[in-house]
Amino acid sequence: MSHAFHFLDDVATADLAFDASGDSLQELFQGATCAVIDAMADPLTVGSMWQQTVERTDEDPAELLFDWLSDLVYWKDAAGVIFSRSELTLTRQDHGCWKLTGLLYGEPVNGSAQTLRADVKGITKHLYEVKQEGMRWHARVVVDV
Amino acid sequence: MKLNTRMQVNRISNEVWEVPPSEKEGMLVPARIYATPAILQAMDAGVFEQVTNVACLPGIRRYALCMPDGHWGYGFPIGGVAAFDARSGIISPGGVGYDVNCGMRLIRTDLAREDVQPYLERLMTELFRRVPAGVGAGGFVQLNRSSFEQVMTNGARWCIEQGFGWHRDLEVIEEGGRIIGADPSKVSDQAVSRGINQLGTLGSGNHYLEVQVVSSDRIFDKETASAWGITGHDQIVVMVHCGSRGFGHQVASDYLKVFERAMQRYGIPVKDQQLACAPFESIEGQDYFSAMNCAANTAFANRQVITHQIREAFAAVLGRSAEEMGMELVYDVAHNIAKVERYPEGELVVHRKGSTRALGPGSPTLPPRYRMTGQPVICGGSMETGSYLLAGTEGAVRDTFASTMHGSGRTMSRAQAKKAVRGEQIQKQMKQRGIIVKAVSMSGLAEEAGFAYKNISEVVEAVDRAGITRTVAELRPIGNIKG
Repeated sequence: MSHAFHFLDDVATADLAFDASGDSLQELFQGATCAVIDAMADPLTVGSMWQQTVERTDEDPAELLFDWLSDLVYWKDAAGVIFSRSELTLTRQDHGCWKLTGLLYGEPVNGSAQTLRADVKGITKHLYEVKQEGMRWHARVVVDV
Repeated sequence: MKLNTRMQVNRISNEVWEVPPSEKEGMLVPARIYATPAILQAMDAGVFEQVTNVACLPGIRRYALCMPDGHWGYGFPIGGVAAFDARSGIISPGGVGYDVNCGMRLIRTDLAREDVQPYLERLMTELFRRVPAGVGAGGFVQLNRSSFEQVMTNGARWCIEQGFGWHRDLEVIEEGGRIIGADPSKVSDQAVSRGINQLGTLGSGNHYLEVQVVSSDRIFDKETASAWGITGHDQIVVMVHCGSRGFGHQVASDYLKVFERAMQRYGIPVKDQQLACAPFESIEGQDYFSAMNCAANTAFANRQVITHQIREAFAAVLGRSAEEMGMELVYDVAHNIAKVERYPEGELVVHRKGSTRALGPGSPTLPPRYRMTGQPVICGGSMETGSYLLAGTEGAVRDTFASTMHGSGRTMSRAQAKKAVRGEQIQKQMKQRGIIVKAVSMSGLAEEAGFAYKNISEVVEAVDRAGITRTVAELRPIGNIKG
């Protein structure tokens, strides 16, 4: 099981774009989450004293990922924190809905102790896609900074 | 001329180019791009695609426009302008931008460079301390839900009541710093949570606070400059570029979702999901307009609190009051907004996304002291190259729904810029050129390198030659704060 992400050079002139992938839908979610966390700050410089659990359900995994990534942006501003890591569990429920339980770890913003990067202000639907190719899931995401 | 599009692009003049409606199915009006031939050739393919998508939206009047600083955006291009009939047309968050009322503010002073230079390092440190910037930064203004609603409805006026500024500041802010029609009940709790702690903060990305110098040889219209308090002789001015922060973004995100559903109900097809829209007169359209006005007022308030902090910082470092130093506001104007304005066609909902309103001389909307000159248009360049002060013209009112450029416009992606240079390197090079830069994020600084932007002088030349603004003065940076 693995996930990956990389930022794109030639997409989104004024903002940031990334491709994420994973061996499963859950791994894809993990890869995309890591990308958004990495865009905000170097996660190796961020502690984990702040924690927040988020639960979401949706029939459409693409909408679920979009809303979950938007949750990261929300908590960044609402709690004044940045993130070090996340733990995700994605399950398919009996009625077909996907349920995501995400645990976010982070700490309050402190520029003297953390390597801060971009203030991600929104997840956009521009060029947004979630797809499965062979055995691997892929997503393209453009974030507004 | 080789362009980054296969569409037919007709020359109207050396600064105006038109894509006819025959080039894309569904175009209701032509698309017009303002650019010199060189700028047009360099424009990315996204501009042509997006401006012609905008030309397909219901109720659009005359043209879908893009200014010479235009580049790829979400839905609308950055630099995009479109006006829709207020009765039969639409309103779209994609035509406003996520950062509602992102805008520019310019403060003049009686100080000369020689007055400030010995204290510049201290001054920039003090400004950096007083004006929080960067990811997750919170402001010093403590608000509860009730007082934040006052900010949403009263904008910069709320700030003046709280002592953050001078009453006369309001005269030289677009709409007097308060847009009527803001309704906090149309704003989500999430938006409130994101915005309530951010008043008086810069943010990051291309937002900045800059201490600049106006030399006499870079004033191109002395009479107009003088009327605005710009006198040259190495005069110090301060420019602020920021908007409604996370609050405005959440408003835009919330209503994009609402509009995605509404479009199906109203049967509106769009070429791009980011062009989600609703009839302006629909419940959804009016709700968004009310919420967007809340965000616009919050942005006016944000820049007003920052102005207060700038005045305090100057007073603390230079040991004189802001009044003694003549720190008067020149103007504050939005470049991401939708407004109802009257034109010969009737009432139109004018969307400006990365475009500045540019009212010409005689406009009754302008404060009396600017009616002879036309409206000040503040255009921010890259932190390395400088900025411009322009004046609105009758040509803009006639040709572009009183709209013009807003900045230089990017040519290189943030990811590419970061690979090309390190933030520490830029900071050092700029210091050698006499520009002190304070930045929260060094990678963010690299993303804002001058080479990632168009040459602002060429962009200014395009709008000047097109007659939609008049060049007044160039402003050169000596200190910059970035998130």
